[in-house]
Amino acid sequence: MDTVRASQADLALLERLRAGDEAAFMDLVDTLGPSMRRVARMFVSTDAVADEVVQDAWLGVLQGLAKFEGRSSLRTWIFRILINIAKTRGQRESRSVPFATLAGDDLDQPAWEPAAFIGPGEPGAGHWSTLPFDWRGLPEERLEARETLAVIARTLEGLPPMQAEVLRLRDVAGWSSEEIRNALDLTETNQRVLLHRARAKVRAAIEEHLRSVSGA
Amino acid sequence: MSTALVCQEVVELLNDYLEGTLSSEDRAHVQTHLDACDGCTSVLAQLRLAITTTGRLTEERLPEDQRATLLAAFRDHVQDD
Repeated sequence: MDTVRASQADLALLERLRAGDEAAFMDLVDTLGPSMRRVARMFVSTDAVADEVVQDAWLGVLQGLAKFEGRSSLRTWIFRILINIAKTRGQRESRSVPFATLAGDDLDQPAWEPAAFIGPGEPGAGHWSTLPFDWRGLPEERLEARETLAVIARTLEGLPPMQAEVLRLRDVAGWSSEEIRNALDLTETNQRVLLHRARAKVRAAIEEHLRSVSGA
Repeated sequence: MSTALVCQEVVELLNDYLEGTLSSEDRAHVQTHLDACDGCTSVLAQLRLAITTTGRLTEERLPEDQRATLLAAFRDHVQDD
């Protein structure tokens, strides 16, 4: 059950949508659209079908607007409509996507390479074998540079799609973890592990990038 | 869990530490470790920086034809009511 209910902002937006406010609707489309496209694409075979799913989801949203009672946040409700349609469409395509394909098949493994730590049985086992490269002291511009952002974007593209989406919703769009697991139909544990792994990979990619540009 | 955590265990808990989802007991163990470990403290700071930097990513807008189709659907819907 959702404990995150529609916020005051959600209820205000809902009123505007019900009143036919086009700018409010297009704001919502622009805010949620890119993520909805990626989520739909996880369950169906092509970008074109994913676009149809997104269209159908918005039609479902419009039809449901009058009945939406605010028992979840507005965006969680929209994503549930989307995922239901995407899953149904995927089944019709006889496309069953195992969870491990979406989430990664290494969720029960540590996110960190064991090689970074002193091996079992040796003195100091489990402590750093060499200290991690410390990029705290590098100038902020390095981190904010376009290349660093490009490294992060590329890393996200290489992640299992559900890992990338959990991270985008949390760290780019600023959703709460609870909204994310409700919207994407994830267990609490899976949401936590997906975020942990995705952030660990992004951190590692930034480290590798900064290490190479700083000549360390 | 034994009282003293090693680095290899701590790094796997840092995200939950940041998210505030650790039990108070685990949180205290991680804090004790961090107070004494520069490597793990550095990694925690890096994770925070990675999160902030990721937040600077921007999304591309949906293609114009899709936006137009959705706007038309919205107008239809408003008229039908």
